[in-house]
Amino acid sequence: MAGIVPPATTAVPADVSHTAHTKHDEKTDYMNLPCPIPYEELHREALMSLKPETFEGLRFDFSKGLNQKFSLSHSVIMGPTEIPSQSAETIKIPTAHYEFGANFIDPNLMLIGRVLTDGRLNARVKGDLTDNLTVKANAQLTNEPHMSHGMFNFDYKGKDFRSQFQMGNGALFGANYIQSVTPHLSLGGEVFWAGQHRKSGIGYAARYETDKMVATGQVANTGIVALSYVQKVSDKVSLATDFMYNYLSRDVTASVGYDYILRQCRLRGKIDSNGCTTSYLEERLNMGLNFILSAEIDHMKKDYKFGFGLTVG
Amino acid sequence: MASRVSLKTKGKGGKGSKGSDEKSAAQCLKEWSTWAMKKAKVATHYGFIPLVIIIGMNSEPKPQLYQLLSPV
Repeated sequence: MAGIVPPATTAVPADVSHTAHTKHDEKTDYMNLPCPIPYEELHREALMSLKPETFEGLRFDFSKGLNQKFSLSHSVIMGPTEIPSQSAETIKIPTAHYEFGANFIDPNLMLIGRVLTDGRLNARVKGDLTDNLTVKANAQLTNEPHMSHGMFNFDYKGKDFRSQFQMGNGALFGANYIQSVTPHLSLGGEVFWAGQHRKSGIGYAARYETDKMVATGQVANTGIVALSYVQKVSDKVSLATDFMYNYLSRDVTASVGYDYILRQCRLRGKIDSNGCTTSYLEERLNMGLNFILSAEIDHMKKDYKFGFGLTVG
Repeated sequence: MASRVSLKTKGKGGKGSKGSDEKSAAQCLKEWSTWAMKKAKVATHYGFIPLVIIIGMNSEPKPQLYQLLSPV
Protein backbone atom coordinates (compact mmCIF):
# COMPACT_ATOMS: atom_id res chain seq x y z
CA MET A 1 0.00 0.00 0.00
CA ALA A 2 2.78 2.28 0.85
CA GLY A 3 4.27 1.14 -2.40
CA ILE A 4 1.19 2.21 -4.40
CA VAL A 5 0.83 5.80 -3.21
CA PRO A 6 4.33 7.13 -3.84
CA PRO A 7 4.35 6.19 -7.58
CA ALA A 8 1.04 8.08 -8.00
CA THR A 9 2.39 11.20 -6.33
CA THR A 10 5.65 10.98 -8.19
CA ALA A 11 3.88 10.20 -11.50
CA VAL A 12 1.93 13.49 -11.57
CA PRO A 13 4.87 15.89 -11.31
CA ALA A 14 6.76 13.73 -13.79
CA ASP A 15 3.85 14.05 -16.26
CA VAL A 16 3.71 17.82 -15.87
CA SER A 17 7.42 18.12 -16.37
CA HIS A 18 7.16 15.72 -19.32
CA THR A 19 4.56 17.85 -21.11
CA ALA A 20 6.51 21.00 -20.32
CA HIS A 21 9.56 19.27 -21.72
CA THR A 22 7.79 18.19 -24.92
CA LYS A 23 6.38 21.70 -25.41
CA HIS A 24 9.88 22.98 -25.08
CA ASP A 25 10.97 20.33 -27.55
CA GLU A 26 8.18 21.30 -29.98
CA LYS A 27 9.30 24.88 -29.76
CA THR A 28 12.90 24.21 -30.63
CA ASP A 29 12.88 21.06 -32.77
CA TYR A 30 13.77 22.58 -36.10
CA MET A 31 14.90 19.25 -37.47
CA ASN A 32 11.43 17.79 -37.29
CA LEU A 33 9.24 20.31 -39.07
CA PRO A 34 6.06 19.20 -40.84
CA CYS A 35 5.95 19.00 -44.61
CA PRO A 36 4.41 22.15 -46.07
CA ILE A 37 1.42 22.08 -48.39
CA PRO A 38 2.10 22.27 -52.12
CA TYR A 39 2.90 25.72 -53.53
CA GLU A 40 -0.16 25.87 -55.76
CA GLU A 41 -2.42 25.12 -52.79
CA LEU A 42 -1.09 28.00 -50.76
CA HIS A 43 -4.38 29.87 -50.83
CA ARG A 44 -6.42 26.68 -50.54
CA GLU A 45 -8.60 27.60 -47.58
CA ALA A 46 -9.31 31.07 -48.92
CA LEU A 47 -10.13 29.71 -52.37
CA MET A 48 -12.49 27.10 -50.95
CA SER A 49 -14.44 29.71 -49.05
CA LEU A 50 -14.30 32.64 -51.42
CA LYS A 51 -14.34 31.11 -54.88
CA PRO A 52 -17.00 28.45 -55.20
CA GLU A 53 -17.66 27.16 -58.71
CA THR A 54 -20.63 29.30 -59.59
CA PHE A 55 -22.46 28.56 -62.80
CA GLU A 56 -25.47 29.81 -64.72
CA GLY A 57 -28.32 27.67 -65.88
CA LEU A 58 -28.95 24.03 -65.25
CA ARG A 59 -26.36 21.50 -64.18
CA PHE A 60 -27.03 17.83 -63.74
CA ASP A 61 -24.23 15.47 -62.70
CA PHE A 62 -24.56 11.75 -62.47
CA SER A 63 -21.65 9.77 -61.13
CA LYS A 64 -21.64 6.02 -61.26
CA GLY A 65 -19.02 3.90 -59.55
CA LEU A 66 -18.20 0.59 -61.15
CA ASN A 67 -15.77 -0.45 -58.48
CA GLN A 68 -13.70 1.16 -55.72
CA LYS A 69 -11.31 2.81 -58.11
CA PHE A 70 -13.14 3.25 -61.37
CA SER A 71 -16.16 5.48 -62.00
CA LEU A 72 -17.94 7.09 -64.90
CA SER A 73 -19.65 10.44 -64.83
CA HIS A 74 -22.29 12.00 -67.05
CA SER A 75 -23.05 15.71 -66.92
CA VAL A 76 -25.61 17.85 -68.66
CA ILE A 77 -25.04 21.60 -68.64
CA MET A 78 -27.51 24.00 -70.18
CA GLY A 79 -27.23 27.72 -69.92
CA PRO A 80 -25.74 30.91 -71.25
CA THR A 81 -21.96 30.95 -71.46
CA GLU A 82 -20.01 34.15 -71.65
CA ILE A 83 -17.79 34.84 -74.60
CA PRO A 84 -14.98 37.32 -74.15
CA SER A 85 -15.81 40.64 -75.75
CA GLN A 86 -13.86 43.84 -76.15
CA SER A 87 -16.66 46.12 -75.03
CA ALA A 88 -17.76 46.52 -71.44
CA GLU A 89 -20.95 44.54 -72.06
CA THR A 90 -20.96 40.84 -71.44
CA ILE A 91 -22.10 38.76 -74.38
CA LYS A 92 -23.78 35.48 -73.56
CA ILE A 93 -24.69 32.69 -75.89
CA PRO A 94 -27.01 29.89 -74.78
CA THR A 95 -25.29 26.55 -75.05
CA ALA A 96 -26.02 23.01 -74.01
CA HIS A 97 -23.36 20.37 -73.40
CA TYR A 98 -23.17 16.78 -72.45
CA GLU A 99 -19.95 15.78 -70.80
CA PHE A 100 -18.76 12.23 -70.33
CA GLY A 101 -16.07 11.50 -67.82
CA ALA A 102 -14.05 8.50 -66.72
CA ASN A 103 -12.05 8.46 -63.48
CA PHE A 104 -9.58 5.92 -62.25
CA ILE A 105 -8.34 6.70 -58.76
CA ASP A 106 -5.66 4.52 -57.19
CA PRO A 107 -3.24 5.50 -54.40
CA ASN A 108 -0.40 5.48 -56.95
CA LEU A 109 -2.12 6.51 -60.15
CA MET A 110 -4.94 8.87 -60.84
CA LEU A 111 -6.45 9.32 -64.30
CA ILE A 112 -9.32 11.71 -64.89
CA GLY A 113 -10.71 12.38 -68.35
CA ARG A 114 -13.65 14.51 -69.41
CA VAL A 115 -14.88 14.90 -72.96
CA LEU A 116 -17.55 17.34 -74.15
CA THR A 117 -19.91 17.08 -77.10
CA ASP A 118 -17.90 19.60 -79.08
CA GLY A 119 -14.81 17.42 -78.87
CA ARG A 120 -12.93 19.18 -76.10
CA LEU A 121 -10.95 16.86 -73.86
CA ASN A 122 -9.84 17.69 -70.37
CA ALA A 123 -7.32 15.17 -69.07
CA ARG A 124 -5.48 14.94 -65.76
CA VAL A 125 -2.91 12.34 -64.84
CA LYS A 126 -1.09 11.98 -61.55
CA GLY A 127 1.38 9.22 -60.86
CA ASP A 128 3.74 8.42 -58.01
CA LEU A 129 7.06 7.32 -59.41
CA THR A 130 8.65 6.83 -56.00
CA ASP A 131 7.62 7.74 -52.45
CA ASN A 132 8.77 11.29 -52.93
CA LEU A 133 8.58 11.95 -56.66
CA THR A 134 5.24 12.58 -58.36
CA VAL A 135 4.49 13.32 -61.99
CA LYS A 136 1.38 15.25 -62.91
CA ALA A 137 0.06 16.14 -66.33
CA ASN A 138 -2.84 18.35 -67.27
CA ALA A 139 -4.16 18.89 -70.78
CA GLN A 140 -7.06 20.68 -72.46
CA LEU A 141 -7.24 19.52 -76.05
CA THR A 142 -9.58 20.94 -78.65
CA ASN A 143 -10.21 20.34 -82.30
CA GLU A 144 -9.31 23.92 -83.13
CA PRO A 145 -5.67 24.34 -83.97
CA HIS A 146 -3.44 26.27 -81.56
CA MET A 147 -6.05 26.29 -78.81
CA SER A 148 -4.81 23.26 -76.91
CA HIS A 149 -2.81 23.49 -73.72
CA GLY A 150 -0.76 20.93 -71.88
CA MET A 151 1.37 21.06 -68.77
CA PHE A 152 3.67 18.57 -67.05
CA ASN A 153 4.70 18.92 -63.40
CA PHE A 154 7.39 17.00 -61.56
CA ASP A 155 7.05 17.24 -57.78
CA TYR A 156 9.67 16.26 -55.27
CA LYS A 157 8.63 16.09 -51.64
CA GLY A 158 11.38 16.26 -49.04
CA LYS A 159 11.17 16.00 -45.26
CA ASP A 160 10.18 19.60 -44.70
CA PHE A 161 10.18 21.07 -48.17
CA ARG A 162 8.54 20.61 -51.55
CA SER A 163 9.86 21.52 -54.95
CA GLN A 164 8.19 21.42 -58.33
CA PHE A 165 9.28 21.81 -61.91
CA GLN A 166 6.72 22.62 -64.61
CA MET A 167 6.85 22.40 -68.40
CA GLY A 168 4.02 23.55 -70.60
CA ASN A 169 3.34 24.02 -74.26
CA GLY A 170 4.36 27.28 -75.78
CA ALA A 171 7.77 26.90 -74.08
CA LEU A 172 6.39 27.60 -70.62
CA PHE A 173 8.78 26.61 -67.85
CA GLY A 174 8.36 27.12 -64.15
CA ALA A 175 9.82 26.01 -60.88
CA ASN A 176 8.76 26.55 -57.33
CA TYR A 177 10.00 25.67 -53.87
CA ILE A 178 8.41 25.87 -50.45
CA GLN A 179 10.08 25.21 -47.09
CA SER A 180 8.77 24.92 -43.55
CA VAL A 181 10.66 27.42 -41.45
CA THR A 182 8.87 26.95 -38.14
CA PRO A 183 6.03 24.55 -37.26
CA HIS A 184 3.56 27.23 -38.31
CA LEU A 185 5.34 29.28 -40.96
CA SER A 186 6.38 28.20 -44.43
CA LEU A 187 8.09 30.33 -47.06
CA GLY A 188 8.44 29.70 -50.73
CA GLY A 189 9.30 31.16 -54.09
CA GLU A 190 8.68 30.54 -57.75
CA VAL A 191 10.14 31.47 -61.12
CA PHE A 192 8.60 31.03 -64.53
CA TRP A 193 9.52 31.72 -68.10
CA ALA A 194 7.02 31.94 -70.95
CA GLY A 195 8.85 31.55 -74.24
CA GLN A 196 5.99 32.43 -76.51
CA HIS A 197 5.27 35.74 -74.86
CA ARG A 198 8.89 36.32 -73.90
CA LYS A 199 7.94 36.96 -70.30
CA SER A 200 9.57 35.79 -67.13
CA GLY A 201 8.56 36.25 -63.57
CA ILE A 202 9.62 35.59 -60.03
CA GLY A 203 7.43 35.48 -56.97
CA TYR A 204 7.59 34.86 -53.24
CA ALA A 205 4.99 33.42 -50.91
CA ALA A 206 4.51 32.95 -47.21
CA ARG A 207 1.96 30.99 -45.24
CA TYR A 208 1.33 31.11 -41.52
CA GLU A 209 -1.15 28.65 -40.11
CA THR A 210 -2.36 27.60 -36.71
CA ASP A 211 -5.33 25.46 -35.69
CA LYS A 212 -7.61 28.47 -35.78
CA MET A 213 -6.40 30.58 -38.65
CA VAL A 214 -4.44 30.65 -41.87
CA ALA A 215 -2.76 33.75 -43.27
CA THR A 216 -1.03 33.74 -46.65
CA GLY A 217 0.74 36.34 -48.72
CA GLN A 218 2.10 36.23 -52.24
CA VAL A 219 4.09 38.79 -54.21
CA ALA A 220 5.18 38.50 -57.84
CA ASN A 221 7.11 40.74 -60.17
CA THR A 222 4.17 40.69 -62.60
CA GLY A 223 2.78 43.21 -60.16
CA ILE A 224 0.47 41.00 -58.15
CA VAL A 225 0.24 41.20 -54.39
CA ALA A 226 -2.26 38.73 -52.93
CA LEU A 227 -3.00 38.45 -49.22
CA SER A 228 -5.59 36.27 -47.60
CA TYR A 229 -6.75 35.46 -44.10
CA VAL A 230 -9.06 32.66 -43.02
CA GLN A 231 -10.35 32.31 -39.47
CA LYS A 232 -11.92 29.07 -38.38
CA VAL A 233 -14.47 30.38 -35.92
CA SER A 234 -15.80 26.93 -35.08
CA ASP A 235 -16.08 23.47 -36.63
CA LYS A 236 -18.95 24.62 -38.76
CA VAL A 237 -18.12 28.22 -39.56
CA SER A 238 -15.14 29.81 -41.30
CA LEU A 239 -14.71 33.40 -42.29
CA ALA A 240 -12.30 34.43 -45.00
CA THR A 241 -11.01 37.62 -46.48
CA ASP A 242 -8.87 38.25 -49.50
CA PHE A 243 -6.99 41.25 -50.89
CA MET A 244 -5.53 41.40 -54.39
CA TYR A 245 -3.54 44.37 -55.58
CA ASN A 246 -1.74 44.80 -58.87
CA TYR A 247 0.83 47.54 -58.42
CA LEU A 248 1.51 47.84 -62.14
CA SER A 249 -2.06 48.28 -63.30
CA ARG A 250 -3.32 49.81 -60.02
CA ASP A 251 -6.13 47.31 -59.75
CA VAL A 252 -7.50 46.46 -56.32
CA THR A 253 -9.99 43.84 -55.25
CA ALA A 254 -10.95 42.95 -51.72
CA SER A 255 -13.49 40.35 -50.74
CA VAL A 256 -14.99 39.01 -47.55
CA GLY A 257 -16.78 35.72 -47.31
CA TYR A 258 -18.12 33.00 -45.08
CA ASP A 259 -18.33 29.24 -45.26
CA TYR A 260 -20.88 27.35 -43.18
CA ILE A 261 -20.46 23.58 -43.20
CA LEU A 262 -23.58 22.20 -41.57
CA ARG A 263 -24.92 18.68 -41.33
CA GLN A 264 -27.23 18.81 -44.34
CA CYS A 265 -25.82 21.65 -46.34
CA ARG A 266 -22.83 23.79 -47.14
CA LEU A 267 -23.41 27.48 -47.66
CA ARG A 268 -20.75 29.83 -48.96
CA GLY A 269 -21.17 33.51 -49.63
CA LYS A 270 -18.95 36.44 -50.41
CA ILE A 271 -19.08 40.10 -51.20
CA ASP A 272 -16.53 41.91 -53.29
CA SER A 273 -15.23 45.44 -53.61
CA ASN A 274 -16.23 45.32 -57.30
CA GLY A 275 -19.85 45.25 -56.24
CA CYS A 276 -20.24 41.52 -56.80
CA THR A 277 -21.94 39.20 -54.34
CA THR A 278 -21.85 35.45 -54.70
CA SER A 279 -23.61 32.68 -52.92
CA TYR A 280 -23.40 28.92 -53.31
CA LEU A 281 -25.55 26.37 -51.54
CA GLU A 282 -25.12 22.61 -51.63
CA GLU A 283 -27.94 20.83 -49.88
CA ARG A 284 -27.87 17.14 -49.19
CA LEU A 285 -31.39 15.87 -49.91
CA ASN A 286 -30.64 12.22 -49.45
CA MET A 287 -27.68 9.86 -49.47
CA GLY A 288 -25.84 10.61 -52.68
CA LEU A 289 -28.35 13.23 -53.85
CA ASN A 290 -27.25 16.87 -53.65
CA PHE A 291 -29.12 19.95 -54.71
CA ILE A 292 -27.08 22.98 -55.74
CA LEU A 293 -28.08 26.63 -55.98
CA SER A 294 -25.65 29.23 -57.24
CA ALA A 295 -26.09 32.99 -57.52
CA GLU A 296 -23.68 35.67 -58.67
CA ILE A 297 -24.89 39.26 -58.80
CA ASP A 298 -22.56 41.86 -60.28
CA HIS A 299 -24.03 45.29 -59.68
CA MET A 300 -21.30 47.15 -61.54
CA LYS A 301 -21.55 45.19 -64.78
CA LYS A 302 -25.27 44.53 -64.31
CA ASP A 303 -24.65 40.82 -64.81
CA TYR A 304 -26.97 38.48 -62.91
CA LYS A 305 -26.27 34.79 -62.94
CA PHE A 306 -28.46 32.22 -61.26
CA GLY A 307 -28.02 28.52 -61.51
CA PHE A 308 -29.50 25.37 -60.08
CA GLY A 309 -28.43 21.79 -60.31
CA LEU A 310 -28.63 18.29 -59.02
CA THR A 311 -25.74 15.93 -58.32
CA VAL A 312 -26.35 12.21 -58.07
CA GLY A 313 -23.71 9.87 -56.76
CA MET B 1 21.27 51.08 -102.92
CA ALA B 2 21.37 49.03 -106.05
CA SER B 3 24.50 47.29 -104.76
CA ARG B 4 22.74 46.67 -101.42
CA VAL B 5 19.78 45.11 -103.20
CA SER B 6 22.00 42.88 -105.30
CA LEU B 7 23.90 41.80 -102.18
CA LYS B 8 20.62 40.88 -100.52
CA THR B 9 19.48 38.76 -103.48
CA LYS B 10 22.86 37.07 -103.62
CA GLY B 11 22.55 36.22 -99.98
CA LYS B 12 19.06 34.85 -100.43
CA GLY B 13 20.08 32.80 -103.46
CA GLY B 14 23.02 31.38 -101.51
CA LYS B 15 20.86 30.44 -98.54
CA GLY B 16 18.21 28.93 -100.77
CA SER B 17 20.65 26.54 -102.38
CA LYS B 18 22.04 25.54 -99.00
CA GLY B 19 18.53 24.98 -97.54
CA SER B 20 17.44 22.64 -100.27
CA ASP B 21 20.54 20.48 -99.83
CA GLU B 22 20.95 20.12 -96.06
CA LYS B 23 19.20 21.21 -92.89
CA SER B 24 20.97 21.89 -89.65
CA ALA B 25 20.62 19.36 -86.86
CA ALA B 26 18.63 21.77 -84.69
CA GLN B 27 16.12 22.38 -87.48
CA CYS B 28 15.73 18.64 -88.06
CA LEU B 29 15.17 18.07 -84.36
CA LYS B 30 12.64 20.87 -84.20
CA GLU B 31 10.68 19.53 -87.17
CA TRP B 32 10.65 15.98 -85.82
CA SER B 33 9.65 17.10 -82.33
CA THR B 34 6.81 19.20 -83.77
CA TRP B 35 5.65 16.19 -85.83
CA ALA B 36 5.85 13.98 -82.74
CA MET B 37 3.91 16.46 -80.60
CA LYS B 38 1.19 16.70 -83.23
CA LYS B 39 0.84 12.92 -83.38
CA ALA B 40 0.90 12.70 -79.60
CA LYS B 41 -1.82 15.31 -79.35
CA VAL B 42 -4.09 13.42 -81.75
CA ALA B 43 -3.37 10.12 -79.98
CA THR B 44 -4.15 11.62 -76.58
CA HIS B 45 -7.27 13.32 -77.86
CA TYR B 46 -8.76 10.10 -79.19
CA GLY B 47 -7.17 7.59 -76.90
CA PHE B 48 -7.18 9.00 -73.37
CA ILE B 49 -10.74 8.17 -72.38
CA PRO B 50 -10.57 4.65 -73.90
CA LEU B 51 -7.29 4.16 -72.02
CA VAL B 52 -8.89 5.12 -68.72
CA ILE B 53 -11.82 2.82 -69.42
CA ILE B 54 -9.54 -0.11 -70.29
CA ILE B 55 -7.44 0.40 -67.15
CA GLY B 56 -10.60 0.69 -65.07
CA MET B 57 -12.26 -2.40 -66.51
CA ASN B 58 -9.15 -4.44 -65.77
CA SER B 59 -8.79 -3.32 -62.17
CA GLU B 60 -9.90 -5.53 -59.26
CA PRO B 61 -12.79 -6.32 -58.67
CA LYS B 62 -13.45 -6.58 -62.40
CA PRO B 63 -16.68 -4.83 -63.34
CA GLN B 64 -18.99 -6.35 -65.91
CA LEU B 65 -19.33 -4.91 -69.42
CA TYR B 66 -23.05 -4.10 -69.06
CA GLN B 67 -22.23 -1.85 -66.08
CA LEU B 68 -20.50 0.52 -68.45
CA LEU B 69 -23.72 1.29 -70.26
CA SER B 70 -26.55 0.76 -67.82
CA PRO B 71 -27.62 3.62 -65.56
CA VAL B 72 -28.03 1.48 -62.44
